Amino acid sequence: MSRRVVVVGAGVAGLSAAFAARKRGIDVTIVSAGAGASALGSGAVDDQPWEAWFSAARALGEPLRARALGDDVRAFSDALGIWDLPPADGPAPLVATAAGRVRPARGRDRGLLDVGSYRQTTVLVPRAPRAGWDADAIAATLESEFLSRRAELRFLPVDAPILRFVDEARISDVDLAMRHDEPSRLSWLGDRLREMLTNTRRACSTTVSAVLLGPWLGADHERATTLSSRVGVPVGEVLVGVGSAAGLRFEAARQRLLEQLSVQLVNGRVTMLRRVRERMEVVVAEDDATLVADAVVLATGGIAAGSIMYSPPDQRAGEDVPTTISPSFSYGIETIGVPITLALGSDRIDAGGSIFGPALDTSAWPSRARVGALELVGIEASGGRVCQDVFAAGDVVAGKRRTVLEAVAMGLRAGQTV
Amino acid sequence: MVPAVPPAQRQTLGRDDIDVDVVVVGGGVNGTGVARDAAIRGMKVALFERNDLAFGASGNNSGMIHGGPRYMLNDPKVTATSCRDSGYIQAIAPHLLFRVPFLMPAENTGRAKIMFALTDAFFEAYDRYQPLKRGKRHAMLTVEEMQKLEPGLRGRMVGGFSFDEWGIDGVRLCTANVVDAHERGARIFVGTTVERIERRQDSGEVVAVHYRDRMTGQTGMIRTHTVVNATGAWAPITTSLGGIAPARARVRPGKGIHIIYDRRLVNYAITSRTIDGRQIFIAPWQNTSVVGTTDDDYYGNLDDVRATSEEVRYLVQGIARVFPAIRTARAIGTYAGVRPTLHVYGPLEDELSREHEIIDHAPHGAPGVYSMIGGKLASYRMFAEEMTDILATRFGLSAQSSTHEKPLPGGDLVIDAASLAEQMQIEPIAARRLTFRHGSRALRVAERVRERPREACTVCVCEPVIEAEVRHVIRHEWARSVADVSRRTRLGLGACGGMRCAARCGQIVAQELGLSPQVGLRQAANFLVKQAQTRAVALGPEQARQEALAIGAVRAELGVDMPAETEGLAT
Repeated sequence: MSRRVVVVGAGVAGLSAAFAARKRGIDVTIVSAGAGASALGSGAVDDQPWEAWFSAARALGEPLRARALGDDVRAFSDALGIWDLPPADGPAPLVATAAGRVRPARGRDRGLLDVGSYRQTTVLVPRAPRAGWDADAIAATLESEFLSRRAELRFLPVDAPILRFVDEARISDVDLAMRHDEPSRLSWLGDRLREMLTNTRRACSTTVSAVLLGPWLGADHERATTLSSRVGVPVGEVLVGVGSAAGLRFEAARQRLLEQLSVQLVNGRVTMLRRVRERMEVVVAEDDATLVADAVVLATGGIAAGSIMYSPPDQRAGEDVPTTISPSFSYGIETIGVPITLALGSDRIDAGGSIFGPALDTSAWPSRARVGALELVGIEASGGRVCQDVFAAGDVVAGKRRTVLEAVAMGLRAGQTV
Repeated sequence: MVPAVPPAQRQTLGRDDIDVDVVVVGGGVNGTGVARDAAIRGMKVALFERNDLAFGASGNNSGMIHGGPRYMLNDPKVTATSCRDSGYIQAIAPHLLFRVPFLMPAENTGRAKIMFALTDAFFEAYDRYQPLKRGKRHAMLTVEEMQKLEPGLRGRMVGGFSFDEWGIDGVRLCTANVVDAHERGARIFVGTTVERIERRQDSGEVVAVHYRDRMTGQTGMIRTHTVVNATGAWAPITTSLGGIAPARARVRPGKGIHIIYDRRLVNYAITSRTIDGRQIFIAPWQNTSVVGTTDDDYYGNLDDVRATSEEVRYLVQGIARVFPAIRTARAIGTYAGVRPTLHVYGPLEDELSREHEIIDHAPHGAPGVYSMIGGKLASYRMFAEEMTDILATRFGLSAQSSTHEKPLPGGDLVIDAASLAEQMQIEPIAARRLTFRHGSRALRVAERVRERPREACTVCVCEPVIEAEVRHVIRHEWARSVADVSRRTRLGLGACGGMRCAARCGQIVAQELGLSPQVGLRQAANFLVKQAQTRAVALGPEQARQEALAIGAVRAELGVDMPAETEGLAT
């Protein structure tokens, strides 16, 4: 009988662990408890926090270049099929954010527009009567960004009837994205954008390089490529920080990849992990099923996913002092025979010097100089290993950078060693 | 408004060596109250505010114009004035008020029976003041009745009492006053600090006020012979700008913090006692619940007063004795302010008087300079009237104050939110919030929407706030930053902490004021980080998860190093 592995968590880390383990012929089951950082992600595929990278390049006056990636990372990305990761040393993709920034990324969801390779051209931003989509304000802000000015990139707001029905002024971004999953609707949009392009070219002599839209281009597949070929110039989305169509597209791509890899997906929250003789037992809450495995990969995400919980003792105090004093962070899965230790970066978390837990007054959020405590907390897993037969990957690991590609690299390593 | 005293007898009014009759320094309730009263009485007024309207204690208090039963034993005059003026405020700004019924549990201590009877007698006495502010009489309640009214109530009690108070939005109150003053000719300078009060070498008389716009750096001068220092806890700093010793306008600065919880956890405000015996409360306030407050001497930076986790835990511990569910409730923010209490050395903070006084600095060699010290929100109007009476006497004006009967902007007419919602094509809740904040002035926001339908779009989903209102407060209420808009509209103060609306608001601010879009972006980033800091001190499990998501989103969309790059720029 082949080796059996249970991967807990179906974000990028869990998925890449399942991918790598399947490549080795291991029998993999993946357990998903719902949306975490990946499914709510922005579509930016970062290998490092971009702010420091950007500041350094800006200070040195150097172009932003993509860094090298492992072959396995590339293989995983190809299999997933929704990311564009340009070759190393080439220009880094630049994405436009809904807030109005132009920022680098190592890669991007293909639905997002990459303005990194255009210089001295104009990107059209169609006007639409939607909250949060003030084309004039977004265009003005994007154009005032450092990277736009350096590339002499213009953003021009233009009139185009890109909403087809009255209710589309009010429905959510995600609902609008779903409407564009329908081919006829997408061709309708393509026609409108082409008219817009023709009109713009007739009205002014500017060179139009691309069209920027809100996060509306498909929830199932990204429809940007189809649309681009219909319009004649690249059409893509703006980046939205949380809960965008890019997250939905990740979920859809995950579904396809898991089917292709023949990985079984179990929906439910894991409540317990225990060692029974030589094997691991994983208890899933909803149906009380117990999965048995030779090894387990914990890819449950960080605080954002609800896998690590902040629970200061005074929360349980009622009208008096707490009945027990325990550390202020806890792991969402109870374990027996599997020692799990939580740490803030490299500092192990214990009950500490306060019965009320830590003062996060100034440390919770990041600043330029410092990573935030809520980004540092996780389980101790040196080299991705928690203990014998238990591995960890992604945001659940203490002190790791919370980026997509870091999570993928950790997931692949776990899948390769498990 | 027509002066009854012949022009020759007037001290300064209308003289041509001045630009305005009086410069009011401070954009809190006292300053805006004086500016309004003086403008109504025909004086030419300029008002300077270093930070923003209601930036200090006026916008960071318990949000109530309570009668102050607490002061009834030691300061019955304060209670009487507060109740009477509270009644006047209801009459001039009915849209800004909402009833906050209180429950006060009586703890089961050794002498519970006697204390219970005494407290009843106490409230019996307070009932006499209630008609002044349209309040209901108190009721003596059994434990069962108390728990029926508020099922979350716990703790050892023998019963309790109900009494009646009114909630208000202090920022809106200041804004309404300043809008009215402006419409009556006052010049308003927000975000503009007074750098120097220039006085004559010989007579000590005021000649001019020199100022600097903190956002643009632009400096200027305005000629006047009269200055009213209504800067609250900043009072001694302001007098020193005129070469008057800070000790001449001394206050006892008392920091008070509040914790804001998501949604209304209670229908009644509930009082409790802290470990050191102070009375605190949890109150339903607008669409949130508020816990307050502390009272501690404060010597830190008045431009950046923040709650600490120590203070939060002290309050939560106190509230948990009567309402233990507070432990697991979701705190979505904190705020802090500094009370400008009258200076006395010795007594504990809570024993300090809430009376107010006006200091004439003529005996200190600075004729024409007045400092307003102390006071409270509930009696701001009366304090402003007293100050303006002094100004009127100085200028030989006989006009009496009419601020107790002239409605504040928006307070003249009751607007039906439901029909407004239909007319504007916005959510009923958005319309209700709009009429609460603006009263009949909501119609002006509606007019914007009629002209530009896209401004009906919601900018802040949590509150909610529509685009037209954001633009309105920038154009007509001196908001110059995301934080200013937030103060006036509560944009970004909901559960999501501005994650979805700060950047959009920054874009609008930049558009409206013709600023670089980069300034708007930085304002948004600064706002997000500052708000996060106020939440971090009261972090619980659910909010921690929300924060982790917010950090991810801000990193993706804005980057976390924006604020640091922009020090010194407008916040």
